[in-house]
Amino acid sequence: MRNMKHESLFKLAVIFLGNIILRTEGLSIEFGALKAVNNVSLSIKADKFTAILGPNGAGKTTFFNLVSGLYKPSAGKVFFKDKDVTGYTPQQRIHAGMGRSFQLTNVFPALSAHENVRLSVQSAAKVKFTKLFKSYTRYTDIFEETDRILKRILLHDKADVRAGNLTHGEQRKLELGMVLAQKPEVLLLDEPTAGMSIEEVPIMIDLLKSIKDTGETTIVLIEHKMNMVKALSDVIVVLANGELLCEGDPETVSNDPAVMAAYLGGGVVHVAT
Amino acid sequence: MILQRLDTIRKIEVVIIVALAIVLLIVPHVAGTATVTMVSRIMIFAVFAMSYDILRGYVGVIHLGYALFIGGGAYFVGILFTQFGVGIPMLLLAVVGTSVYSAIWALIVGKISGKSGMIATAMITMAFAEIMRSLMTSWFTVTRGADGLPFRVPPPFNDRTMMFYASFIFMVIMAFLLYKFTKSPTGRVWQAVRENEQRAIFLGYNTNRARTIALLVASVVGGLSGVMFGLLNRFVNTDLLDMQMTINAMLYSLIGGTGTLFGAILGSALVVYFQNLLLDLRGVHFIFERWLLFIGALYIVVVMFMPRGIMGFYYDWKDKRAQKKRLLQEAKLPPQLNDEA
Ligand SMILES: Nc1ncnc2c1ncn2[C@@H]1O[C@H](COP(=O)(O)OP(=O)(O)O)[C@@H](O)[C@H]1O
Ligand SMILES: [Mg+2]
Repeated sequence: MRNMKHESLFKLAVIFLGNIILRTEGLSIEFGALKAVNNVSLSIKADKFTAILGPNGAGKTTFFNLVSGLYKPSAGKVFFKDKDVTGYTPQQRIHAGMGRSFQLTNVFPALSAHENVRLSVQSAAKVKFTKLFKSYTRYTDIFEETDRILKRILLHDKADVRAGNLTHGEQRKLELGMVLAQKPEVLLLDEPTAGMSIEEVPIMIDLLKSIKDTGETTIVLIEHKMNMVKALSDVIVVLANGELLCEGDPETVSNDPAVMAAYLGGGVVHVAT
Repeated sequence: MILQRLDTIRKIEVVIIVALAIVLLIVPHVAGTATVTMVSRIMIFAVFAMSYDILRGYVGVIHLGYALFIGGGAYFVGILFTQFGVGIPMLLLAVVGTSVYSAIWALIVGKISGKSGMIATAMITMAFAEIMRSLMTSWFTVTRGADGLPFRVPPPFNDRTMMFYASFIFMVIMAFLLYKFTKSPTGRVWQAVRENEQRAIFLGYNTNRARTIALLVASVVGGLSGVMFGLLNRFVNTDLLDMQMTINAMLYSLIGGTGTLFGAILGSALVVYFQNLLLDLRGVHFIFERWLLFIGALYIVVVMFMPRGIMGFYYDWKDKRAQKKRLLQEAKLPPQLNDEA
């Protein structure tokens, strides 16, 4: 009883101290005996760049899969703008304003880069399925928005290229553009630089910076290398073995002994730059 | 590879299509009844195969019970005409009945494909057609089972030339409608569902709804092609509900080019013509009775040289040409113009 009172007081404090856009409460999922995400309670502040860090296999992607509705949690809840969205389908979460990208590039390979983005814009524009007789090319506003996004992700000159024929780095940018097209209030990005070449990484980082600077969306980014996100993040959250290890500003987190241990244990030695 | 230019139909293509249409319209005036009937059949089967392509080629549903629609439509015509009399009102009733019947199947299959995967859907739909076939077999007093149901058709459909024009108009309208649909925002979502359903879901699309709409469109058009086939054939038996009919639709669209819609017209023309040729050659040598063997060979040859079918081959060629043009243009531009402004 006492405990519950404390908890609600704490919640109240959190709500007043910062504008929480996304919150999880005791989020968990098991795969057989493996507790991939174990009792993770996390609050993401709006307008803060949050990086979720952790070695490979820590449960970061699984956490996103739970938050975005791809998986159903075995326990726990997801709140978006203080609304319980745990029972929402992925589509409902998207339309509520939660966008996500995928770690493994996930585009429509046989469709053009333009069409990949356009489909996303069309979805955000909520064009009805019953509009069977109108040509898709007559939605000029959707085309304009698509061009705007292609420019933003620096793929304008590749608009006509089949997504499957783009380089890996370009596909990552395309993936980002597809999420941006939904104008999400919170942007869940799963390792946007994964598999990118050394030359391509800074371009993506700059891109992320520019998105952050617009202030239009709250970015939550998964990364497994600390040095990648240290400069970019306002808040760093560390996951290890499915559990929340620590949370704080980049300086504090990178000097945390538990984090060092987890990283060395996980075999990733890219701590401090 | 360049894709957007594919969306625009070129002038030369319009000329070819119009020329082909004119040639088609002359056929009944210069050819014998057998040819006129054969071309009518090609046009009706083309619609059947185009509607199949909406499922297989656009939204990515493997429907192995597709015979349900051509068989269903033909049975509606046959049963209504033999039970309640031959006439236009009965024909209209057949059209309405077939549409409702096809729509119901579409909704059922839509539910199933939303829950189970592609393979399960394929198996279950195959079972549906088999069930319908045995139903029609056992309803012998009305359908006369495998022996089949011959019937008369009302004018103007009892005239071969008029039936030819009716089939032509039917094909043109259906091809136009289906083409419109594939170019609609919904049609674009169908392709997204086929390419990567999970991603389509995470763009916020209700993919089950998109697929069900494709199923509704395809099934109803497929059913109507059955009505037309009934009118042309003036006979229906359980063979029309056989798996072979589904395989035919699949074959026509594969040879013509899956996901190209109009490819189904070419595929249907090629295969039906080839079949007829083989039937004519039966008298020459008995081996030609094994026509399926030759169709199989035709299929292998086409797929070996044109893995994406005839229209697919043409589109790829167009694709390459456009790419070459683009590269040439890029080479002419000063390099700084290639950079992103
Ligand atoms: N669908 C799944 N089925 C079984 N195990 C899974 C599944 N998804 C993830 N896992 C396991 O959960 C753990 C966490 O994976 P993941 O979330 O992908 O880690 P990260 O993204 O942090 O590298 C890994 O051990 C992985 O093998
Ligand atoms: Mg991961």
